[in-house]
Amino acid sequence: MTDLIKPIFSVDDLKITFSTQDGPVEAVKGVNFHINPGECVGIVGESGSGKSQTFMAAMGLLAENGSTSGQINFQDHNLLQLSTTQLNHVRGKNMSMIFQDPLTSLTPHMTILQQMREVIKLHMQLSQKDTDIVCHQWLDRVRIAEAKRRLNQYPHELSGGMRQRVMIAMSMLCDPALLIADEPTTALDVTVQAEILDLMDELKREKGTAIALITHDMGVVARMCDRIHVMRKGQYVEEGNVEDIFYKPQHEYTKMLLDSMPRIDNPDKTSHHKLRSIDQQTTAGDFLNVDDVKVHFDIKVSDGFWPKTVPLKAVDGVSFKLRPGETLGIVGESGCGKSTLARAVLQLIPPTHGTVSWLGKPLSGLTRHELKDKRKDLQIVFQDPLASLDPRMTISDSIMEPLVTFAAGMPKKEMKQQVMQMMDRVGLDRNMINRYPHELSGGQNQRVGIARAMIMKPKLVICDEAVSALDVSVQAQIIELLMDLQEEFKLSLLFISHDLAVVREVSHRIMVLYLGRVVELAESKDIYANPVHPYTKQLISAVPVPDPKIERARKSIKIPGELPSPMDPSAKLKFMPSKLNAGEVNYIPKLIEHNPGHFVAEHDSLAELQAAG
Amino acid sequence: MFSFIVRRTLSSIPTILILILISFALMRLAPGSPFSTERGLPPEVLANLEAKYGLNLPWYEQIYTYLRGIIFEFDFGPSFKYKDRSVNDILAQGFPVTLTYGIWSFVVAVAVGIPLGIAAAVKHNTKFDYAAVGFSIGAQVLPNFVMAPILVIIFTLWLNWLPGGGWNGGQWQYLIMPIIALSTSYMASIARITRSSMLEVLHSNFIRTAKAKGLPTSSIILRHALKPALLPVISYLGPAFVYMITGSVIIDIYFSTGGMGQFFVDAALNRDYSLLMGVTIVFGVMTILFNAIVDITYAWLDPKIRL
Repeated sequence: MTDLIKPIFSVDDLKITFSTQDGPVEAVKGVNFHINPGECVGIVGESGSGKSQTFMAAMGLLAENGSTSGQINFQDHNLLQLSTTQLNHVRGKNMSMIFQDPLTSLTPHMTILQQMREVIKLHMQLSQKDTDIVCHQWLDRVRIAEAKRRLNQYPHELSGGMRQRVMIAMSMLCDPALLIADEPTTALDVTVQAEILDLMDELKREKGTAIALITHDMGVVARMCDRIHVMRKGQYVEEGNVEDIFYKPQHEYTKMLLDSMPRIDNPDKTSHHKLRSIDQQTTAGDFLNVDDVKVHFDIKVSDGFWPKTVPLKAVDGVSFKLRPGETLGIVGESGCGKSTLARAVLQLIPPTHGTVSWLGKPLSGLTRHELKDKRKDLQIVFQDPLASLDPRMTISDSIMEPLVTFAAGMPKKEMKQQVMQMMDRVGLDRNMINRYPHELSGGQNQRVGIARAMIMKPKLVICDEAVSALDVSVQAQIIELLMDLQEEFKLSLLFISHDLAVVREVSHRIMVLYLGRVVELAESKDIYANPVHPYTKQLISAVPVPDPKIERARKSIKIPGELPSPMDPSAKLKFMPSKLNAGEVNYIPKLIEHNPGHFVAEHDSLAELQAAG
Repeated sequence: MFSFIVRRTLSSIPTILILILISFALMRLAPGSPFSTERGLPPEVLANLEAKYGLNLPWYEQIYTYLRGIIFEFDFGPSFKYKDRSVNDILAQGFPVTLTYGIWSFVVAVAVGIPLGIAAAVKHNTKFDYAAVGFSIGAQVLPNFVMAPILVIIFTLWLNWLPGGGWNGGQWQYLIMPIIALSTSYMASIARITRSSMLEVLHSNFIRTAKAKGLPTSSIILRHALKPALLPVISYLGPAFVYMITGSVIIDIYFSTGGMGQFFVDAALNRDYSLLMGVTIVFGVMTILFNAIVDITYAWLDPKIRL
């Protein structure tokens, strides 16, 4: 059947080897596959599986120490045989690529127009005037508002989502036959991800562009791909069309990947740990009480001759109570203030206004010494496991450090004993005790971070994007571990994440933040079953579900307009334009109890918001 | 951009005033005076001398008169040691000399150093790269007081091509050796900084994007990589330029060029208060000025800095 269509891209027994100080490392161990015109092929795998390297080799972008054998055929060329000059006639023109990190993938000192023009000048014969028209049309095409103004801006003046759109526009300028997308939405917020994926799907249908989508996210694959290759350790372990892979997975690894994906539509999969229910009637009492906390940073903006400082309201009046043993999930997109809030709760950043009380006593205004005492019970686990451990300390030293600080009198031997027990508890091998962080994997380092946070048996642990940097399989294990520890030590957790599916799985209650303010706060199952605030609805609808039939039938909710700048005073009325129109610029939407225990910020209805855009 | 330049320039003024006050104070705190000799002067003579130069006045009045002279008349006062010559005369004589060989050295150092660094980065881990790194290290550790005599031995004594010293109105034969001796180590530093920053830029994501567009290597380097790679070089060039144009004692003494470097050392050894102050202020103002120029260049190279 595929014999009838000639594939545009085919890979034949491709091997990629990197020469390193520890000898040659084979990253890709002989893979074969092809891409037909106009289809979207997904290459799925976890970090280090070699999924990007195949395409880096095709684009001539392998690192200097990489070498290849085998064939990559694109149209009528064997790409591996071409000289750089010959390859330059193919890449950027017939085959183009977009990358994971849109923030750093554009040249910072050139305007958008200059960067786009370059491509046309190189590959097409067009007059300067036509060139500019084409660039402008493409920015419109990828739905960048005010395209004309944007063309003359520099990359840092654009948001991450806009920069990825520019990347897509730039790679589509010459109507390529193949677009390679290497984790194109991984660094973006879910609502932006949904828009970028829709855009790519549209281009595929309208232009007949084939897409190679490299990703770790099974939800993205379910939404986009026709066929899938599952890659592990340099080899394809399973390949097939999307429905076969999702509904009849054969290989253990594929099954495991699918099973590890947290699902927003179905959090209580049987294979997963059940969240321990807590008695909702227990009152919070005086456990943790956050009252109207604000954190403002002074930002210098140029304004006339002398620059002036303007407060950036990172957190702008957040209140909540936490019960003992409860997990409160805090979700929101980048820049919503969730990490700042976490740091303010722990007094790592002193709040500008409001109080945080712990067991009935305020934490703010304490001396360094008094605060240190409290810190024993208040711990935090950070996002980047490797960067948050001291590279010059062995992991046992890192885990032991709280003991040295808080239990200085304890004999060294006993400390070591406790470290060993904690390592057992978080699933670290005892013989790793003298290793350094760089010798461990990301997941192992995160276990070290958790062990360090847990060794004093704290009452509250804040997980600040603690699983976001990890592969799904590892992420599932770490979540499992956190829930076990919670049960064992009667822990309370503040679980901060941008990933709604994960938060749903671990939290009793969920708080949705938008630009430093709470827009909705309710019990987990309520908020997912009956989201009230338009922003919550939008967020939930944007999370891809790893099930092609369900995912393709879902419709994502769009609210027109870009994320406003947090320094814009009218930003808080983003969901209440009626007040803006009525001239009440300083109106602050109130948090109203919609149902018992379900709080929602005042807003206009979704239909009104969509009509307004 | 314009208001940034004005602001940056205005903020230099207090820095210059503080510089003047501190050097004034340091000089007066140092023991000895311009008139102390081994035998000592008779007290009446000393008193007369001090009155003539205003040293008998309270310190604040001294500073006031000094500042007034500089600001309103651009007058750095008389020299304490070179009789009948004012500091202005000495500056007018020495400064053009150092400026001439300084600017030339700067041009040579930049014109060779930057391309050398770029080429080494582009040909990373090749023989050319190793040779360039070897040259940089060699040239940087070779001090100019070793370099100068070697040059004289080769070009004056053996080959008899160039005069061994003197200035002669800055004729080119007299300029060559001072320029080589002064520029070599700066050239090496510039090449090294350019190479490492270029290497870093060449590994960044936007260069990968440029390659993926199909751009030829030359435009990747000139259009995409050069500007960001030059940022650290520029911050080095500001102070380096000031050092070069304010002269080098070694060059002035070894080649008898008669530049500022020589006067600076003499002034310090002789406790020639006004000359030392004059030279310090000129050097200081230059440093502050070129740091301001560096900041402004930064804003031009990096659109994120535009404030």
